[in-house]
Amino acid sequence: MSRSDTFDAIIAGAGHNGLTTACYLARAGLRVLVVEKNDWIGGAAVSRSLYDGWTYSNCSYVCSLLRREIVRDLELPRFGLQVIPYEAGATFTEDGDYFAYYSDHDALVREIGRHNPNDVDAYERFSQTVIRQCRFIRPFLLRNAPDPTSLKPRDIDELLYLVGKANDLGSRELGETLRFWTISIGDFLDEHFDNDLMKAHLAGSGIIGTGLGVYSPGTAYVLLHHYMGDVDGAIGAWGFARGGMGSITKAMGASLEEAGGQIVVGSGVDQFIVRDGRVKGVALESGDTYFAPIVASNMDVKRTFLKHVERSALPGDFVTAVERFKTRGSSGKINIALDAVPDFPAAPEGASFMRGDMHCSTSLGELERAYDDWKDGRWSADPYFDMLIPSQIDPTLAPPGKHMMTVFVQYAPYDLENGQGNRNAENWTEAQRKAFADCVFDKIEQGAPNFRQHVLHAEVRSPFELENEVGLTEGNIFQGELTFDQLLFNRPVPGYAQYSTPIGGLYLVGSSAHPGGGVMGAPGANAAREILRGLGKAHAMPVYVE
Amino acid sequence: MSSATAKTDRNAPHETFDAIVIGAGHNGLTAAATLARKGKRVCVIERNEQVGGMMTDTLLAPGVMAPRMAHLLYNLNATVARELGLGGRIPLRTATLPTVALSPEGAHVVIRGGQAERVDGSAHQQADVFAALHRRLLRFAELLARLANQTPPKLAGGLTNPDTLSELSVLARLGLDLKLMGRKEMQEFLRITLSNVHDLLVDELGDGPLAGAMAADAVRGAFAGPRSPGTVFALMYRLGSPKPPGTASARATGREGGISRSGGGSADPVLPLDGMGAVAEAFARAATDAGAEIRCGQGVAKVLTDTEDRVNGVALEDGSTLLATTILSSAGPLQTMEMTGPAHFDIEAVRRFRNLRHKGTTAKVNLLLSDTPTFTDLPPELAAGRLLIAPSSAYVERAFNPAKYNEMPTAPVIEMVLPGLSQGSSGKDAAKPDQQVLSAIINFVPPSPKKGWRASERRALLKVLLSTLEAYAPGISKLVTASEVIAPDDIAAETGAPGGHWHHLEMGLDQILTLRPTNGTAHYAFGPQGLYLCAASAHPGGDITGAPGRNSALQALKTGSA
Repeated sequence: MSRSDTFDAIIAGAGHNGLTTACYLARAGLRVLVVEKNDWIGGAAVSRSLYDGWTYSNCSYVCSLLRREIVRDLELPRFGLQVIPYEAGATFTEDGDYFAYYSDHDALVREIGRHNPNDVDAYERFSQTVIRQCRFIRPFLLRNAPDPTSLKPRDIDELLYLVGKANDLGSRELGETLRFWTISIGDFLDEHFDNDLMKAHLAGSGIIGTGLGVYSPGTAYVLLHHYMGDVDGAIGAWGFARGGMGSITKAMGASLEEAGGQIVVGSGVDQFIVRDGRVKGVALESGDTYFAPIVASNMDVKRTFLKHVERSALPGDFVTAVERFKTRGSSGKINIALDAVPDFPAAPEGASFMRGDMHCSTSLGELERAYDDWKDGRWSADPYFDMLIPSQIDPTLAPPGKHMMTVFVQYAPYDLENGQGNRNAENWTEAQRKAFADCVFDKIEQGAPNFRQHVLHAEVRSPFELENEVGLTEGNIFQGELTFDQLLFNRPVPGYAQYSTPIGGLYLVGSSAHPGGGVMGAPGANAAREILRGLGKAHAMPVYVE
Repeated sequence: MSSATAKTDRNAPHETFDAIVIGAGHNGLTAAATLARKGKRVCVIERNEQVGGMMTDTLLAPGVMAPRMAHLLYNLNATVARELGLGGRIPLRTATLPTVALSPEGAHVVIRGGQAERVDGSAHQQADVFAALHRRLLRFAELLARLANQTPPKLAGGLTNPDTLSELSVLARLGLDLKLMGRKEMQEFLRITLSNVHDLLVDELGDGPLAGAMAADAVRGAFAGPRSPGTVFALMYRLGSPKPPGTASARATGREGGISRSGGGSADPVLPLDGMGAVAEAFARAATDAGAEIRCGQGVAKVLTDTEDRVNGVALEDGSTLLATTILSSAGPLQTMEMTGPAHFDIEAVRRFRNLRHKGTTAKVNLLLSDTPTFTDLPPELAAGRLLIAPSSAYVERAFNPAKYNEMPTAPVIEMVLPGLSQGSSGKDAAKPDQQVLSAIINFVPPSPKKGWRASERRALLKVLLSTLEAYAPGISKLVTASEVIAPDDIAAETGAPGGHWHHLEMGLDQILTLRPTNGTAHYAFGPQGLYLCAASAHPGGDITGAPGRNSALQALKTGSA
């Protein structure tokens, strides 16, 4: 017997952005329903038990970008969210040394100097620039991206705000900002530092999740996407959500339910019901139908419009623009149950970086070559990875004495080439996934020679698995690449960068919308503001001033 | 106290000029002509025995000349051409060439006047899409080209400063014209301008020779592949400047001053029928006709300054001194800074000059062929066109890969011309009428191979070129009777272009407009008072445009003592 009901607003997809929108709407007094295709909520911010006794953050794995305004507004700590910062990271070399990146400034300066004294001063200039850019960009995250082609007063207001902020920078800094936004992370690091190892360590943030190489223009900006967050106000710091990334969405779910919202799991949207250019509700795969004058899709723009909206309801050039929106997946993920923390011989006893992000890529050239493989449809033969063992800080993730390790791998293509010129996601066979993991494990063993003998279980995920499980088209972790042509007023599609779509009442609230990906919540919060504004309830959303 | 003060020599009074231009490349000559036309006494100092910079001919074999570096004109600034009288008062014989995008399967594509067709004249299946894309890119390019004929906005004193506002008025007009294109077109402009050319081409055309040809044009001379963001801008830059007046396409479309009156235009390349040296001579004549003096065979060793941190002359390599209170340098910012002395520049500027991106990835190879080569499935008359080996955008991207690691290419992108096949072309050896020069620009070569560009690297590059050509023109290797390889380090040594970079300085988004050459020195004047940059490392950048030379001269007239 299929169910049917009517709500004020329906959110399709219980990812962190969908839940953020749902929470704000529920708190504004709307009757809200969230529908989720999986049997669990969370989207790509989940904690899952895939091996008895272990909890994997099997998609996103560390936390920093989640806007503190959202944490505060939705009272997430009261619903159990606790973020524990980690203090350091390191890159291991093949010859038994390492470069450690400490959040403690004095320790970091000593470490940089140990490798190359010249780089110490350069680091001061580097971090000044990055922090300045972070400060510049942060206020824009929770605002709409103004449309320069529009003459609407709100767009002009937002443009003037932007021009004002740019003016505040002054002539020199404005030039520096333009430069920072357009340069590659490789060139930016090369002009500061001599030490290859340090450059390789810092460059990782410029390519994570991105179909660009370290020498592709625009990757310095992607670095910002990983630096502009904070943990308890410490800008650029990263931390673990206690209990895994699912704790974030679990807290959001609890916050929503307390505000009166409902969540239905286990059946995804089959079709957004559209009549006369307006959305009327959603028909689920289960046969259930729910009606609401407002529907927010947390799915990416391609999935929303190319899979679940009738083509005839959409303008042709909008469909073309959506088809051309780039969502190429570029990352793989391996979640591992370990029987002990592997021994990294280079690491001193009790080294703090063992509890942070660890890497084995030692030069920018090596990273660039990893990208070349991806362009041709191969996973990187010599990959970059970001590996962490969060169970050292958060004992809830593994049985006592045992550990959980997460390895994020760059690059892995969605449409794998099969060696005969055929590129297809179906080429991600079990054998390919195993070969991919073996390649990563070989490289991990550069730092931890007996790593493999500690592995009890490993979940290997290509972009294809990510698409299948979470619904991210082509497994792109940002719901769309973060390139100039897909940021700000171009995200996801020119003319529709402010959460509304050609279908009246249908909104995009996921990372396909401005300001884009990462477990940030900003698209969800901004979209909620747009929805409430449309209902004449703008006052229900706080205004953020930074 | 300056370390290089001009010493007054009581015995021989120094010659004094209003302005001295260092380097007689096309930009130096344009700067000199522009200043001389305003009545200034100008002297151009050229280190080489001949003028022209990258725009010269070389003796490939006894009696056979070949273009030494650049071999085509496609971007000459119309304002410069008009002011200098190039192609008008000073004749310049040119021929507009079609572009032939060669395909290894023989499905070659001919691009002419913004239209794509098959070699037999039948329509290409993407003809309409291509024509529309080409028109749109040209329209966008023409908008951007307006920024080319003036100093980039300084933005000093913030956006509320009246000077800044007047600088911004051009930008405002640009914004207005963008609006006038209509919302859809403006959105498309804002979306693609900073984008990568690979996605744009593959989205519109699918991948193949047509996309490959456009991709190759976007990245020629650059340290970038078609997938690099910013390459659409580079393509627009290339399409941006109109043809020199006097050429057929310019007359047909009535383009002038960077603005197309008809909205048409083609951006087809232009072959100088009397060789590149003749183009250099034409620029030189424009300068000397206006009263400038050109002295070859003696380089500038030092830029001299007085105690007030103003330039007051140059010391030549032979120790003689010329006096002038305005110096325009065609050299790169770093080289110019070194000639002047770092003490005259602030420490941040010096650091920026040292970090400029100018990795040269372009080599030139000239071949002398004993007979006209036959390209598979290409009608002989089309062999006179601009021939491109760039069968797909993916190919161009792959060709860029090895250069990133300073490795030799295995399947390079090649732009070639056989100038002797164009009707009216001069300089042929009458005794050997079948003999042909093949001039090839190769991308991407390693900027600095591990052991340098030795004879073995040059041989290896020649071998790669010939094996690539063999796939399109079987038997061509056997026709080669002479060859020369001009590697990035030759380009650097012979012309002073930093790193041997085709555009002196990478045309990346982080090194254009107000950031060219660096943030804070984008207004031609830099360092001590009276010193200006006048060549491709200044706005708007590379190619044989003449725009940096003209702009810098105008800036010197406006702000300097010239």
